[in-house]
Amino acid sequence: MAAKKAASGKLALSAVLDLNEASVLHGKLMSMRGKDIVIDASAVERVGVQCAQVLVAGATAWQADKKSFLVEKASDAFEKTMALIGISETQLIAKEI
Amino acid sequence: MDMNEIKEIFFQECEEQLAELESGLLKLNDGDRDPETVNAVFRAVHSIKGGAGAFGLEELVAFAHVFETTLDCVRSNKLEPNQDVLKVMLKSADVLADLVTCSRDGGSVEESRTRGLVKELEALANGEALPAAEAPKAAKPVAAAPAKPTDDSGFQPIPFTFDGFGEEENVVEQFTYEVTFKPTRELYSKGNEAALLLRDLSRFGEMGIACDMDQLPALENMDPEASYFGWKISITTPKSEEEVRAVFEFAEWDCELEVKPAEASEGEELPMIPVPFDLSALDDEPAEPTPQTETAATEEASANVVKAVNAAVEKKESAAAAAAAAAAATQNNAAAAASSAGQTIRVDLDRVDRLINLVGELVINQAMLSQSVIENDNNGVSSINMGLEELQQLTREIQDSVMAIRAQPVKPVFQRMSRIVREVADMVGKQIRLVTEGENTEVDKTVIDKIAEPLTHMIRNAVDHGIESPEKREAAGKDPEGTIKLSAKHRSGRILIELQDDGGGINRERVKQKAIDNDLISPDANLSDEEIDNLIFAPGFSTADKISDISGRGVGMDVVKRSIQALGGRISISSRPGLGSTFTMSLPLTLAVLDGMVVTVAGQTLVVPLTAIVETLQPEASAIHSFGANQRLISIRNSFCPLVDVGRILNFRTNQANPVDGVALLVESEGGGQRALMVDAIQGQRQVVIKSLEANYTHVPGIAAATILGDGRVALILDVDAVVGASRGQSLKPEMSLAAAG
Repeated sequence: MAAKKAASGKLALSAVLDLNEASVLHGKLMSMRGKDIVIDASAVERVGVQCAQVLVAGATAWQADKKSFLVEKASDAFEKTMALIGISETQLIAKEI
Repeated sequence: MDMNEIKEIFFQECEEQLAELESGLLKLNDGDRDPETVNAVFRAVHSIKGGAGAFGLEELVAFAHVFETTLDCVRSNKLEPNQDVLKVMLKSADVLADLVTCSRDGGSVEESRTRGLVKELEALANGEALPAAEAPKAAKPVAAAPAKPTDDSGFQPIPFTFDGFGEEENVVEQFTYEVTFKPTRELYSKGNEAALLLRDLSRFGEMGIACDMDQLPALENMDPEASYFGWKISITTPKSEEEVRAVFEFAEWDCELEVKPAEASEGEELPMIPVPFDLSALDDEPAEPTPQTETAATEEASANVVKAVNAAVEKKESAAAAAAAAAAATQNNAAAAASSAGQTIRVDLDRVDRLINLVGELVINQAMLSQSVIENDNNGVSSINMGLEELQQLTREIQDSVMAIRAQPVKPVFQRMSRIVREVADMVGKQIRLVTEGENTEVDKTVIDKIAEPLTHMIRNAVDHGIESPEKREAAGKDPEGTIKLSAKHRSGRILIELQDDGGGINRERVKQKAIDNDLISPDANLSDEEIDNLIFAPGFSTADKISDISGRGVGMDVVKRSIQALGGRISISSRPGLGSTFTMSLPLTLAVLDGMVVTVAGQTLVVPLTAIVETLQPEASAIHSFGANQRLISIRNSFCPLVDVGRILNFRTNQANPVDGVALLVESEGGGQRALMVDAIQGQRQVVIKSLEANYTHVPGIAAATILGDGRVALILDVDAVVGASRGQSLKPEMSLAAAG
């Protein structure tokens, strides 16, 4: 059953997703709860594990909310770091169910 | 925590690692072959490299990487750390230090320097002779050295090939290890990054990884800066277990790590995601990507990733219970790690200074309170009075403890000197060995910070002028290699730093002639050897025949003397012709408090630093002798000592006081000569908190600083050397006086 269609949001990730950025990213995601979200990872040059944690927790939260959480246009560095630290694309995707 | 703060911590740690590196290399240079020393040196470079990688300091990472590779050869007994090898390594340590400095403060290290050393280091690692033509003794080819087991697992290092560095992969047996890695929050807060460690590990060979996300809480409950992920990694590599562990070496206190041969593992818990593809996009070092294979490999990897993760999700529930137990263990281990790491903390110096200042105020306040209680307590048995005595003792203890926080060993400064000796000796073509002693002697941080400069100057002087050229030394029947000895020790509440060289000693004839030429002394002056030696501290004095880059600019030793004096210290020289010179610096252990004798002079209360006072005496009329127009001498145990009326020198009074009515304080001045300072009365002896006069008022000639007494009055702290100087006829010029910090 499709969830009630709410406004969708876009979130462009910063180039450097380091320790500093983890809290910022967390704050942004928290403020966007309840709507579908498309994450633009095209500008990402560096990803730290803490930001990855926030993103995975985000995808899980969106999944629980039955909202869509989509990472698109992932940069090479983003994809490779995620694979390097053992995180698959599917863990960063939540679908409207 | 702000990124800049983390970076700052990294640079602080770099300084420690560089000190560790240098001290280790110097130990190796002295013949120490303890594997732990080699390991410490390797670890230092490795840690710098790791941290630098996290901050994207590419130049630093690149150089550290080459350096580390060569050190690894030493570590695995493939390269004998002989003198030639160590010379390159010491130079590399210097360049590494410069690269760290440049990364912090901006600027750049000359590329030719870095490039040259990289070549030399690579040559050493490859077992080749050093590139410099004149280095035939360099690094014996490694082939001859039989490989020794590197660890308890019996792993034999692979015989090293010399034809091409990097060919080792072709020849080797592969091992598979299972690595469990779970970083703690501290790993990240110290500026390290787990992803970079995993990247470094992935370079070792074929790697599969499974991320354990069981501890990741819900988004709303999570702390974005905490560490939740852990990994199980399987890696097939020619490297030893020790080398695999070494990847995590600089983070070992901040993570749980288990590395074991794969066959010992008890079955897979999580499916592994292969990490076989090119990770050059994540490199800090410039790498050469291979684009045509990359895309295909990435696609393949992505497919694998998806498959693996689907499986992981299915398995997740069954793993949950086990994970909960593991989480409990994790917390215990983390607590244990935290307690062992919690032995030292970094504190901003300003905070310590504020505390010291506050304790200083407390001391003053306590003294004021005591005084008012004493004044109001006529019979002297009040319980408040007794309580106050305990308070006084406690305050003193608090003060000592606070001071101890600032106390640091002089080691870092001494280590810096060894680099200066190396560089300057190279420039002037001399062979010089620096021997240090008592590096662990502790002294206040402000003193440490301020002695580096004068000490550098003196070391340069010793290398440039003190030690003779190897030819001259040989001609004089000495070892062509000169020795400079730098030592530190505590002596009667002060730190004594001695700089001794086994050079030619001071050429007194030349010094005297130069002093006459510069109008510093009259040609017919009759000076003792000691007085002649001390002429080198006179302003503008330089005996160097030619002005060199290193020293001899004519501003040398008087600047050194003034810096030392500004610290409340003294410097003296003793020299033996043909055998060398010894400079002795005596410095206070702290610049915040002072043990002083409180005296009265013309109705004013003054504090005389206790360290300056040799003895006190009540002059008898028969011991006072007039001399010249208004000079007086006092006879003490059959020798005469000039009498100095402090009240008159400081213009507190116009007429000379009668010495018999006062007290004489026998003080020792810079040149070693003694003077008897006349004061009206002694009030007592006490520790006073130094308050800078310059910072709070303005400089007063003859006065070093001020303090606040128990009754709230300000008392001036006497600048003994300036007063003695003034009694010799020198005017009380501002630059002669101590400028004690408050």
